[in-house]
Amino acid sequence: MSTATLSPTRSTMPLWRIGLMALVVASLVAMPLLRDQVGWITNSRLFSFTQMFMLIALASNWNLTGGFTGYVDFGHAVFFGIGAYGTGVLMHNGWEFPPALVAGAVFAGIYAVIVGYPTLRLKGPYFSIAMLGTFVAVREIVRVWKGVTGGGVGLTLPPYLNRVAFYYYTLAFALAVVAIMWWIRRSEFGASLIAIREDEIGAEMRGINTTVQKMTAFTVAGVLSGVVGGMWAYQNTFIDPDIVFIESRTIELVMMTMLGGLGTVLGPVIGAATIYWMRDVVWASFLDYHLIVEGALLIIIVLFIPRGIVGIFGDRSSTSLSELWGRSLGKDQAEKT
Amino acid sequence: MACGPLPLTTLKGGRSIDQFVQAIINGIMLGGFYAAMMLGFSVIWGVMGVINLAHGEFVMVGAYLTWLMSDGAGIDPFVAILLVFPIMFVFGYVLQRVLINRIVDRPHLVALLVTFGLSIIMANAVKLRYTATPRLTDTALSGVWNLYEGVTIPRTKTGILVVALLIMAGLHLFLHRTKLGKSIRAAAQNKQAARIVGIDVKKIYAITFGICIAITGVAGALISSTQAVFPFMGPPLTLRAFTITALAGLGSIPGALMGGITLGLVESFIGIYVEGIGTNLAIVASFALLWVILVTRPQGLFGGLRPAEEPQPL
Repeated sequence: MSTATLSPTRSTMPLWRIGLMALVVASLVAMPLLRDQVGWITNSRLFSFTQMFMLIALASNWNLTGGFTGYVDFGHAVFFGIGAYGTGVLMHNGWEFPPALVAGAVFAGIYAVIVGYPTLRLKGPYFSIAMLGTFVAVREIVRVWKGVTGGGVGLTLPPYLNRVAFYYYTLAFALAVVAIMWWIRRSEFGASLIAIREDEIGAEMRGINTTVQKMTAFTVAGVLSGVVGGMWAYQNTFIDPDIVFIESRTIELVMMTMLGGLGTVLGPVIGAATIYWMRDVVWASFLDYHLIVEGALLIIIVLFIPRGIVGIFGDRSSTSLSELWGRSLGKDQAEKT
Repeated sequence: MACGPLPLTTLKGGRSIDQFVQAIINGIMLGGFYAAMMLGFSVIWGVMGVINLAHGEFVMVGAYLTWLMSDGAGIDPFVAILLVFPIMFVFGYVLQRVLINRIVDRPHLVALLVTFGLSIIMANAVKLRYTATPRLTDTALSGVWNLYEGVTIPRTKTGILVVALLIMAGLHLFLHRTKLGKSIRAAAQNKQAARIVGIDVKKIYAITFGICIAITGVAGALISSTQAVFPFMGPPLTLRAFTITALAGLGSIPGALMGGITLGLVESFIGIYVEGIGTNLAIVASFALLWVILVTRPQGLFGGLRPAEEPQPL
């Protein structure tokens, strides 16, 4: 296909930014090695970072469909859940972790293809709510399918309590996901996705096979989130429908991505890190109020900083909410005002 | 979380024709309640274009108000409706002025996220104040009528159906016969033109939101005597409201009744005919239904508040 006019962004990154990122990555890699020297680095701190890496990966995946392509998925946690259950059920039945993880991701990918094909035809809020509906339906199916999933009682996995190993698994995976997003953003594929976000009919007329591109993005995001789910299940050593399939997980991803900057590569990373650590602070000081504070935070972010942190600092590829849905619903909005 | 709002009585060992009749009776009663429960959601969406993801939480707040009155002052839930309506109206009116007004003319995603934030706040605030213990109200209207051997009509649910039908009739008359109702419909159809003929659109929006929230709160009062009331009961109700709106079209009252009864029948048949796991599967069915409708007929099955020729935002 030809996307001559939609040439990918190849802005050169300033040297200081490359240096800063290298420094951050190097210190993250070095952190567990300095465990004996620095008192601040404890096992629970490593666990916190592990959680944060998983959220960074999930938020980046959500951003691929939500931010780049403009399809705001309110049920993205379903891929996490299928990955977790795929891995969990197989390991419960004696599989090793690596093949079980791959199988879980494959299940998530198959689900993405089956559900994505009809659902991606929907636009705007209809897509969002349909995904939320399928998410809840999958949770109930997992709850009911007792023979395989253990139902509401849940499943236990063989325990493997090596914080350092999980730290490196998740760090490596989060870095890989961010690298994939960075590559997609600069590829012709990424440019097609952004063209779909900006004007789907126009993109179609330009010769972009929008169905294939949307499906690819949706499936890639699903598979990657399935891997995160599998890692999470192994680390947690226990899964049940209510801890794996939580509505708030998707919303957290939306919130993190929006705080960082929708449709940017670094936005989900910054957003996820900020909210994760902010929540750590909020959680510690007001245990009872933390969800209320989180809800209020979501409202504040949406109303007052819709372009996100990265957007404030002028990354041109970011998209504000009004641009994101204002365009896909352009006609409707114009008629109303 | 896993159980439907009105727990369906599963019959054991009855004759199959009795089961069938019972499933229809339960389904219609459940459907009538669903229709009244989702009207507010659909009218708010139709009039202001706001998809209110905190809808189920407004049902929950109405149910808690009723429980407080019933538990504290011994007021029967069916009487408490008269108090819940004005309280929820004021709540809705103020909330619209303070928060919802800011998101009315913004893209749908803004409304989705803001109302989702609102739902988290409401559910957790109630949990903080009243704990997550399930509550139930007592009503004088209890017991069953025996239609004939093997088929019963629960009195409470009949009362709920009657109130639900009254609400629907009342809202229909209000929207079509009063000046205020006509202004609301005018604002829904064309905001600009409504302004030109001298309608204060912002005030109309606040009143609409107030009335819709009041109806939603009353639905909560109705549900409180048949289902345990707890802070996190909202999301499944919101999703059902969305399913029925997808079936019915925005703001259509006859559509709401038909859509509600369709969903009620689906849930009640699955609940009765699938042993054990029926109530869970009923939820799956309602979302599967939503998904099928959205994918096949996104404009809904019935016309609504918006003019029929206007394309849905698709």
